[in-house]
Amino acid sequence: MTDMPNATPKNSLLRQDARTVKRNRAETRFKAYGIAAISVGLLMLVILLVTIIGRGTGAFQQTFLTLDVQLLEAKLDKKGNRDLQDIKKVSTFGYAPLMAAALEKKVAESAVESDLKPKEMAALLSKDAAAQLRDFVLENTDLIGTSVQFRFLTNSRVDGYMKGRVTRESIANDKNINAAQLDLVDALVKDGALEKRFNLAFITGADASDARPEAAGMGVSMIGSLFMMLVVLALALPIGVAASIYLEEFAPKNLITDIIEVNISNLAAVPSIVFGILGLAVFINYMHLPNSAPLVGGLVLTLMTLPTIIISTRASLKSVPPSIRDAALGVGASKMQSVFHHVLPLAAPGILTGTIIGLAQALGETAPLLLIGMVGFIASNPPDGIASGLMDPNSAMPAQIYEWAKRADPAFYERAWGGIIILLVFLVTMNAIAVMLRRRFERRW
Amino acid sequence: MKDNYIPEVDVTTDKIKISARNVQVYYGENHAIKDVSVEIQDKTVTAFIGPSGCGKSTFLRCINRMNDTIDICRVEGDILIDGEDIYDRNVDPVQLRAKVGMVFQKPNPFPKSIYDNVAYGPRIHGLARNKTELDEIVERALKRAAIWNEVKDRLQAPGTGLSGGQQQRLCIARAIATEPEVLLMDEPCSALDPIATAQVEELIDELRQDYSVVIVTHSMQQAARVSQKTAFFHLGHLVEYGETDKIFTSPEDPRTESYITGRIG
Repeated sequence: MTDMPNATPKNSLLRQDARTVKRNRAETRFKAYGIAAISVGLLMLVILLVTIIGRGTGAFQQTFLTLDVQLLEAKLDKKGNRDLQDIKKVSTFGYAPLMAAALEKKVAESAVESDLKPKEMAALLSKDAAAQLRDFVLENTDLIGTSVQFRFLTNSRVDGYMKGRVTRESIANDKNINAAQLDLVDALVKDGALEKRFNLAFITGADASDARPEAAGMGVSMIGSLFMMLVVLALALPIGVAASIYLEEFAPKNLITDIIEVNISNLAAVPSIVFGILGLAVFINYMHLPNSAPLVGGLVLTLMTLPTIIISTRASLKSVPPSIRDAALGVGASKMQSVFHHVLPLAAPGILTGTIIGLAQALGETAPLLLIGMVGFIASNPPDGIASGLMDPNSAMPAQIYEWAKRADPAFYERAWGGIIILLVFLVTMNAIAVMLRRRFERRW
Repeated sequence: MKDNYIPEVDVTTDKIKISARNVQVYYGENHAIKDVSVEIQDKTVTAFIGPSGCGKSTFLRCINRMNDTIDICRVEGDILIDGEDIYDRNVDPVQLRAKVGMVFQKPNPFPKSIYDNVAYGPRIHGLARNKTELDEIVERALKRAAIWNEVKDRLQAPGTGLSGGQQQRLCIARAIATEPEVLLMDEPCSALDPIATAQVEELIDELRQDYSVVIVTHSMQQAARVSQKTAFFHLGHLVEYGETDKIFTSPEDPRTESYITGRIG
């Protein structure tokens, strides 16, 4: 070696040996796999979000037709005494002619050429429009006898035409609308009377029957979900936390507690439909609680959420360092004092996070609701009061979405996507709150 | 730091505070303490020394029944404090622990304010009738633990924000705030730097005036510096127990001598 001063030594650090090269290559490959996996995941997420937003945002807009309606006293309040009971006796059939007249007048005034009969013109309006007007009049009886400008919902075909879902080609076999009606729609759009607007009723309203998708909204099922979540929170949180504290801090470690522990973990993995049929058998058939009631839904979801809450609560109790328990016991605190004064406050953020995640899970759960009758067309008005909210038939957000998705009219399909957006907003908000709580209260030791 | 300084033996009283007779401790199948009998004097610092795993901490934790929290742990034999069997069925361990305070190896202040850390014990035992009394107790405990001057301006600051040595002195303050009669210390200086250790050792020597202090330590110099009596544990046996200077200068048992001279351990 001495005669070759420039030659590198055999074990030079400047050159990688074969083994190192192989190892490094394996590492590079593995990193590439990881990046590929993440990219695929992200791509899926983007596709999902784009699809949901692309298809769902339409549900938040609705086509409205603005008309001046004469609220004729002779039709709506024959006695003329503005007595609410008497006005209520006039059904929606009494209002339909007023609307038809208003539309006819509008067409005449705006110099739109149309050969349509008044009845065909009126078909542009939603079947729900008369009910809309009636509700408005019942709330504002003093307006009877005057002329009011009112924004009517249009038929879902008109709405579909405005959103590009219905085309002149696609209506060939459609009995609900014809080309002449679409001509009138075009003319009214030009006139400015017919336009797409933000549809608050989709967020606040109730479900509607098959014939009037334009009137369907999520509001009542949101209230159903809210009541279920209240039941879950009121039951699952205290029961879950108490059970976890007992199991983690007080229970002796023996065969029985081992079995309980294993079973709780298994319970978390039980398909939710099993809880549904359990709820049907116990709460409805045996305890005779009402069908389709958010109370029953809440009870079933409580069963489902309990294991999640227990597992996360126990995990956060476990993560409290034992030195804190020793410290409390060392100054003469009782077991309970050490748990409630020191361990529980330190575990609280974890417990809260677990509870919120459990609630979010329950909020999105559909399968158990199938069996207790919360999925289906449940035409209900917003409940008045807590008791009616708990006991009256209602749906839930995911059940409502499922219900819309299986209906025939494509207008409902759009609403299902819109419902998914609302549900996701709720879930994302809840998860964000969970993350925030964890960040805020996390303690460093 | 005079490492080899051995204090004058000035045991102020011969009164027996803690008396253990034929104590056996089992962790499941494992026989951790084998037939230990020892008499610990009042107003004395007693050091437990011995190699790791010899059972000295286990025995210490028997004195305030901290081992009760370990499910598989079983204690046999009698431990008497002031002549009362602490393993008697009528003894509530919570009451016992108020009487026998404990300081742990790792400083473990509650994640609360300095004030609340010290006030917690007096609060749960109802030692103060009002806020003023509680303030006095806290101040007295912090002064006795020689940390008052460092924290008096920030009593509401979190206890976990103090340095390691300060935290340990805070834990000592917390332990003495409940007015115990015996103070158990499980390697209180093992997580501290030499300066903090010196401060704590000085403190232990002062505490001897009012309490019977039992300290577990890995440092023989520390045992020699702070204690008047020393017990040497080996493999669960109490090998030798006696005056500290005698143990360190002329041990009777060959195992003690080997340990002290560094041949086993």
